[in-house]
Amino acid sequence: MSGYRSVRDLDWTLLLVAAAICALGILQIYSATHDTVWRDAWWKQVLYVATGLILLWIVTLVDYHSLLGNVPFLYVGSIVLLVVTFFAGRTVFGSRRWIPLFGGFHFQVSEFVKLVLVLLVARYLSELTAKKLESPDLLKLAGLVGLPMLLVMSQPDLGTSLTYLPILACGVFLAGLQWKHLAVILVAAVLVLPAAWFTLKDYQKARLVTFVDPAADPQGSGYQVIQSKIAVGSGGMWGKGVTHGSQTQLRFLPVPHTDFIFSAFAEEHGFVGVVVVLGLYFLLLMQIVSNAQAAPDRAGAYLCMGVAALLLFHVLVNVGMVVGRMPVTGIPLPLMSFGGSSTWSVFLMLGLVNNVRLRRFLN
Amino acid sequence: MNPKNITQNRVRWIARVSLLGFALIFGRLIQLQILDHADLLQQARTQQVKTVEVQAPRGTIFDRNGRPLAMSVPVDTVIVNPQRIPDRGVAAEILAKILGLDQDELTRRVETAFKAGRGYLVVKKHVNPEEANRLKHLNLEWVEFRPGARRYYPNGSLAAHVVGSVNHEQEGDAGLEQGLNDELQGHTGVVRMTTDVRRRGFNTEIDSAMMSGQDVRLTIDRRIQHVAERSLAKAVIDHNCKTGSLVVMNPHTGELLAVANYPTFDPNLPVQGPDDMAGRRNLAVVAPFEPGSVFKVFTIAAALETTNLTPDTVINCGRGVINLFGRIIHDHDPYSALSMADVLAKSSNIGAIQVGLRVGEQRLHEYVKRFGFGDQTGLPLPAESSGRVFRLSRWTKSSIGSVAMGHEVLSTTVQLAQGAAVVANGGLLVRPRITVAGPAAGAIRNVALVEDKGQPVRAIKPETAITMRQLMEGVVLRGTGRAARLDGYSSAGKTGSAQIYDEETKHYTHKYNASFMGFAPVANPALVVVVTLNGASKYGGAVAAPVFREVAGAALRILDVPRDLPDQLTPAAEPEQPANDVAIAELGRPMLTEPIGPKPAPPAPDPNAPVLIGPRVPDFSGKTMRAVLEESVALGLKVRFSGKGVARAQDPAAGTVIAAGEPVRVQFAR
Repeated sequence: MSGYRSVRDLDWTLLLVAAAICALGILQIYSATHDTVWRDAWWKQVLYVATGLILLWIVTLVDYHSLLGNVPFLYVGSIVLLVVTFFAGRTVFGSRRWIPLFGGFHFQVSEFVKLVLVLLVARYLSELTAKKLESPDLLKLAGLVGLPMLLVMSQPDLGTSLTYLPILACGVFLAGLQWKHLAVILVAAVLVLPAAWFTLKDYQKARLVTFVDPAADPQGSGYQVIQSKIAVGSGGMWGKGVTHGSQTQLRFLPVPHTDFIFSAFAEEHGFVGVVVVLGLYFLLLMQIVSNAQAAPDRAGAYLCMGVAALLLFHVLVNVGMVVGRMPVTGIPLPLMSFGGSSTWSVFLMLGLVNNVRLRRFLN
Repeated sequence: MNPKNITQNRVRWIARVSLLGFALIFGRLIQLQILDHADLLQQARTQQVKTVEVQAPRGTIFDRNGRPLAMSVPVDTVIVNPQRIPDRGVAAEILAKILGLDQDELTRRVETAFKAGRGYLVVKKHVNPEEANRLKHLNLEWVEFRPGARRYYPNGSLAAHVVGSVNHEQEGDAGLEQGLNDELQGHTGVVRMTTDVRRRGFNTEIDSAMMSGQDVRLTIDRRIQHVAERSLAKAVIDHNCKTGSLVVMNPHTGELLAVANYPTFDPNLPVQGPDDMAGRRNLAVVAPFEPGSVFKVFTIAAALETTNLTPDTVINCGRGVINLFGRIIHDHDPYSALSMADVLAKSSNIGAIQVGLRVGEQRLHEYVKRFGFGDQTGLPLPAESSGRVFRLSRWTKSSIGSVAMGHEVLSTTVQLAQGAAVVANGGLLVRPRITVAGPAAGAIRNVALVEDKGQPVRAIKPETAITMRQLMEGVVLRGTGRAARLDGYSSAGKTGSAQIYDEETKHYTHKYNASFMGFAPVANPALVVVVTLNGASKYGGAVAAPVFREVAGAALRILDVPRDLPDQLTPAAEPEQPANDVAIAELGRPMLTEPIGPKPAPPAPDPNAPVLIGPRVPDFSGKTMRAVLEESVALGLKVRFSGKGVARAQDPAAGTVIAAGEPVRVQFAR
């Protein structure tokens, strides 16, 4: 086994691209927080990335098939932790998302549930024997994914819960989703969505209204979007330079080191910098996709594609929000946004991808 | 199809979808960062950069000793939002109590504003800091304070005409407040401040720097000003005059130590009506009048310079009648002949005309101009009058006679002071000034350097000035101005009484511009004082000269000018001297329209004219020169010795009461 666990066999392109994105992220975190109370954030992020790389290596050590074998335990454990979070979590901004750990650290269960769901979907779909995806299987899988989604949604954390959808969607699509099922799903969605409106919290409604018309409440819920657009636009072609983005430095831009880090980056590095970053993300995704294509079995391919779909969703929704093309949902930008849970979960996912890659010659 | 192939196919689909997503974002970024860049950058600047106006504090006006005459004190305007007041009745009670307002009236105002739906009501302007602090301590969220400044004149009406006043916008609307408004108000600064989202300033860029208003230090001496205003007001009221003005000037530097007018006003109060408006005119500077006989000083100075007339030259006064270019003119007193010195002392009109004729039109006009008449003195006070001196081409045949007596010319009180100063300072035309450079004792800030008067110009020769001083001393000692004698100081001057022309009746009235123009001490004058009482029924020597005596006497003591005469003068009877100094007004044209009608009868001399009297002359006969000297010094007498030996004769005779400073001639013989 040691032959295909060599460090040399890791996907170095993937790792270098990821490291480059992390480096830009750390630079931007430094720039956005260097004279605020968050000034320690950049080296904390360095630690998160370093530990993330270790986690990545650890994940590659265990054959992903054994991980898939433990999915029932992981799934049940996730549900239990989510329930614990619901009752014992730390309340921040009106929602319980974190479980306090030792040493003042806080653990965001919903981030790691993504990983579990990637494994769950991969195992469930790879074990299907039928050529086509039949509706009972589809509904069963949807139910399995839907349960943690509902739990996370009730924290409430709509953004994170929505990130579970692309994992399911991507897996189902690859597993041979029938077009008639897709049509049914779309019709059902159209019927359910208006009803869902009434289950949303007020701030969530406000975000959607704002998304449609940011000028409706420029000092309130539309504020973030407007400030973000101003930041991105005022960056221009070449940007204002590191630590010279006035929107960022004068704190017009909300949370410029987490959810709106792309906005701060766009202001300080301009169109050129943004194109570079988006290029790196695209490269990252395509590298994951090529790993999926080289996977030794369907489970490996589903794993990689689940990760790819999740990251794609994150990037598009976050950047879309920053440029005013998506509602504000609080979804971080993978590898760039400050945050331990988010960074670690992305590295764990990249570890899964490498896990699959290391075992690509298994058959 | 092979499931593996389906999967591969669908993987490609997913790759395409992600590419599409990236493309959409790419397009959006082009729109924001390239197409809309300028607009969004402008939006960023708009919200990040605030323009802040920094109000400049208005400068303080000090007197020459650093006492403030005008200062700006911070005040607050109290504003409430009636919509946010929880209980309007209680609110009105609190505000009325603290701000000293009428509670019922305030309640009504608050209720009215509330019903009208207004969120803004000015409760009280100019709230003093003490009241504002008491209100601030209550921490009422519906009360708002707007800081401002209010001009405060700690001395009330003192020097009000010079200092002036400000309007509601704190801009000068009278006096130096108006004339030096630019210097006093400074520059409102504009600061561009980069602010963060909480409006905290990060760094500031000064667009235009705030410049505090400059302080102004006046030449006015508060103490002299006070005496001047008091004496002038008393004289105007006691003698039923209409108005009065008074100027005290240092003849060497031109510094105006006092400029007083009556009526006066309190610049702390807003204008109350047309009467108050009239009281706000700085008459000494803005109101020219026909000066009358005081002008004879300049006629005779011109004669000394340009003719061979001397003070002792006898002038034919024609027994009070002269035929001037076919017109028979009568003087107030019929003198047959007077020395030129006595022409001035007794204010003979015909004598002055004769002297004027000797000088000639051209040179008289030239000398009138040399003494500064007809030109503004250049004080930084608004609406200064230049007076009026006709061009030679507009002179009529009789103009020379009129001008010689101070008619057909207009002069302000300040211009007369400027003219008298030429005599007093030895012949230089020194422009009067109202501000001095250099910080006053109490001033901290920069002091405005506003008056550049240039070098003094020589108007007459020093010898002429010295002779004129003696002639003017004669007016005080033995002429029409004896009421101007001072205790402890020699003085010189000239009286004047110019009839006032009534435009309605087209007649010269029996009201006078009664004036006295003088200086003291004679040998080295420290002060020029000019007093003008408009609408007086008595002569200048009777009403204006006593004001000179009060003001000059007090001012010389305030300034610690060394005395040149003993303090106490023993009063004694003195032969009545003619005090009539009325210039012949109707000889020339009135300054506004042609005069019609007969000449008014000369008013009777005032028997009550106060006369100052000096020591009694002792009997010197038989005494040695040394004994006479010692005795006379002890009495403060000026003695002129002639001959050698013991005293044989003296003039005036022993027992006579003489004026202070009047010399006693003692003839010595063996």
